[in-house]
Amino acid sequence: MRILKLALALAATFLLLWQLSIPHKAGDKNLPPLGSFFNPFTGFWQNADPAEGFRGKGLDAVLPGLKGKVEVVYDDLLVPHVFATNLEDAVRVQGYVTASQRLWQMDITTRKAAGRLSEVLGPRTLNTDRLARRRGMVFAAENNLLGWQKLPESMRLLEAYTDGINAYIDQLSPADYPIEFKLLDYAPEHWSVLKSSLVIESMAETLASTETDLAATNTLTQYGQPAFDSLYPEWNPKQTPIIPDTGQWKNLHVTLPQVSPPADLLSGVETPDDNLFSDNELNGPDPYLRGSNNWAVSGERTKSGHPILANDPHLMLSLPSIWFQVQIHTPDQSCYGVSLPGVPGIIIGFNDDIAWGVTNVSHDVSDWYKIKWADAGHNTYDLDSEVRPVTTRIEEIGIKGRPSLFDTVRYTVFGPVVYDYDPKSPLRDCALRWISHDMPPPDGMMIFMLLNSGHNYADYKTAIGGFDCPAQNFVFASRSGDIAIQAQGRYPVRGHEQGRFVQDGSHWQNAWQDYIPQDQVPSMKNPSQDFVFSANQPSAAQTYPYYYLGGFDNYRGRRIHERLSALHDATIDSMKTMQLDNFNRRSADALPVMLKLLDRSRLDAEGRQLADEIAGWNYRYDADLLAPTLFETWWDSCYAKTWDEMYALFKTDRAVLFPEAWHTIELLEKDTSNRFFDHPGTPVHETARDIVLESFLSMEAYYHQNPDKKTSWGKAKGFAIKHLAQIDAFSRLDLIVGGHQNSPNAIKKNHGPSWRMIVELGDQVHALGVYPGGQSGNPGSRFYDNLVDTWAKGEYYDLLVMHSAEESPERILGKQTFSPK
Amino acid sequence: MKNAFFTLLFIFLFGNLCQIGLPWWTLAPIGAIAAFLFPLRTGAGLLAGFCGGFLLWFVAAVLLDRSNQGALSGKVGQLFLGMHGWQLLMLTGVLGGLVAALGVLSGKFTRDVFVGSKPKH
Repeated sequence: MRILKLALALAATFLLLWQLSIPHKAGDKNLPPLGSFFNPFTGFWQNADPAEGFRGKGLDAVLPGLKGKVEVVYDDLLVPHVFATNLEDAVRVQGYVTASQRLWQMDITTRKAAGRLSEVLGPRTLNTDRLARRRGMVFAAENNLLGWQKLPESMRLLEAYTDGINAYIDQLSPADYPIEFKLLDYAPEHWSVLKSSLVIESMAETLASTETDLAATNTLTQYGQPAFDSLYPEWNPKQTPIIPDTGQWKNLHVTLPQVSPPADLLSGVETPDDNLFSDNELNGPDPYLRGSNNWAVSGERTKSGHPILANDPHLMLSLPSIWFQVQIHTPDQSCYGVSLPGVPGIIIGFNDDIAWGVTNVSHDVSDWYKIKWADAGHNTYDLDSEVRPVTTRIEEIGIKGRPSLFDTVRYTVFGPVVYDYDPKSPLRDCALRWISHDMPPPDGMMIFMLLNSGHNYADYKTAIGGFDCPAQNFVFASRSGDIAIQAQGRYPVRGHEQGRFVQDGSHWQNAWQDYIPQDQVPSMKNPSQDFVFSANQPSAAQTYPYYYLGGFDNYRGRRIHERLSALHDATIDSMKTMQLDNFNRRSADALPVMLKLLDRSRLDAEGRQLADEIAGWNYRYDADLLAPTLFETWWDSCYAKTWDEMYALFKTDRAVLFPEAWHTIELLEKDTSNRFFDHPGTPVHETARDIVLESFLSMEAYYHQNPDKKTSWGKAKGFAIKHLAQIDAFSRLDLIVGGHQNSPNAIKKNHGPSWRMIVELGDQVHALGVYPGGQSGNPGSRFYDNLVDTWAKGEYYDLLVMHSAEESPERILGKQTFSPK
Repeated sequence: MKNAFFTLLFIFLFGNLCQIGLPWWTLAPIGAIAAFLFPLRTGAGLLAGFCGGFLLWFVAAVLLDRSNQGALSGKVGQLFLGMHGWQLLMLTGVLGGLVAALGVLSGKFTRDVFVGSKPKH
């Protein structure tokens, strides 16, 4: 009896312990093992940081490898100010302090880039991982290292940064792990220089992988060349290129390469329909999601007589935020700005002498080549008269709870054959030529370090010359009064329309043969207009002799250009109003045209009232206005009814290239009987007037049926900043903000200004900044999202630039000292 | 009664010492050791074990939650069926209590088999 009791008690105990040790599901949610998660000594309660004061635990540290003592002062926004006696020590400590705030973000970002999510998340992320591997993300990251290794200085700094991160990881106990590790039930692993490279590749994937080759090829096949040319004109005459023509290219004579016609995607396919199918990368009407603004105005246009620089890179907004603020102070530099967790140095920032910022260059650096296989097993392919073997790379993808998947990826001279595992993919025989796969110049790693310590225009010019990918418009201003901008990157010299469509990969002449020489990359210094700016629009005027490939409705750029041209006696406040400008140039172009076409006699009383509301509007997408909600619905409907032929294709999952908004407005204005206004299959021939009326009525009907949707723009837009693992509880879903992707304040649903910075140079630098997040990556910290509301209100922080570890005690939270062993 | 109090106290104090460095499930053996040291009847042992484990986990969680002003428990509660912070604290206590109570029970029956002594009053 006693033994039976004992057996039962032990069984009950082990059953409980076992149940508390394994993950469970609540509805569709995965719950972590409850025992370790709830244990207040090591579980999530340990992540509940004090609501006041500063978490002092384990602050002072011995850091092997340091050459001298390093002090870190945390200000009231938890920005670390690193005071070191040399750069190597500074980046070592930068690694440590960044990891102490953002370790899980660094882990998950690099796992995603490396195709290693499934190792910790199981089979549900297998496709994501497989695609990351097959696109050659790890291949690219390894090639980065091969390039950087040629400059020992780069590697020394990168290794110091890595060691700093690992020193932090090594002193952690499970209780200290970020809460996401506890929720997802895995442990942090060591950092490596490859991971830093992967962070950069992850940015390249975000910023420099946009291409519409398949969509353009499909659309060309569907409509033929003449229609294609008229639907997708490559140059918007109203646009304001970044570098205008000032005669600088007069003597530049370039012969563009000759290339074959686009590849025939339909050959060798039984039913053409199968071939127009695109499974996982369907681009809607706006494939160019990424955008950013930057500008600099010279002292001629400012009240103080000193240059002012502004930058707001627009990215997917997330918590933890993509940026981490830091100041790095050594005897040679005192630089403040935002860094990318996982990369040493400061990416966007300023010091006492210079300021710089970046926006993305939209030039296409990612092409597809159709391979002509020479054997049935796809191990060899034809290139001109030669038969070449593929090289293979075997990717082992670890999967939690399952055996690894071994995936063989074929590489050709152009790059990896990404989709050959999917017989339905129209790109299954195509190789990806992507600039990110190339080995960077040896100083590629050093460019931000050199900018951080730069003093003048010459330093800026030298620093950015080594930057290849993702190409950026580097805007610059200096205390000595210079302003400049350069569309810096490595760009293939393209033949006319080369890379616009899927190319024929059986001829070497179609490959990228050459790159635009560094001294011919578009750039401008101290122009007579006294300002420089960029908003992702084409880099140079049409007279620039190289072929530019990449669309971008230039509405933000045009608006910024208008405002900068009218700017006098500018102050930091004028720059704020420009960054927060909700004016939408696209709507200002479209609405008068649409109102003119709208036949008001066909509207009922409510319709006329709505039309009045819209007609009286100032084109601002402010959060509390109704008109933008109405107009946006009207415009979207008008666009969709105009291009209904393309939507029909799109709805059958075919990649389609959608015409740009500016071209749509141009047709509404000048070509009202264009055949695309006619709905196929109706007896009457519709014109632009019919489309405008129809779309207005459908807007009205929609709000008649859904009166709750007729609400202010801020509510209608539905803005959210999501946690990186899409955990709602760790997200901010309660924010109501204005803005539109075409207004300078380009806030979209979950995308927008990820860092707003304004810097006025002068005897003393004055800088403001804010980002929608917080310095801590811990949802249990008051610094997790403490900057979000300030950002949402359109307010800024005065950035604290320190010159010694002892100053500004009123804004200091605490200090941390690192000493050598 | 005295042994019940000692059981509770032992779990609470020894638990506080051990839980910082050792895995959470060591709370069960701690309960078992308490049952060896301070023999109790089944019901009393279960109750004392539960109270000791509950207090151990609950108090530690309350202290952290208070200094955090409930910010994190509000968020984690949303992940667990939309619980409030106080419910999450109770759940924490109950989990600690269950583990300790079953530990005590196993310890008691082990003692009954190998030592065989009846609990004193």
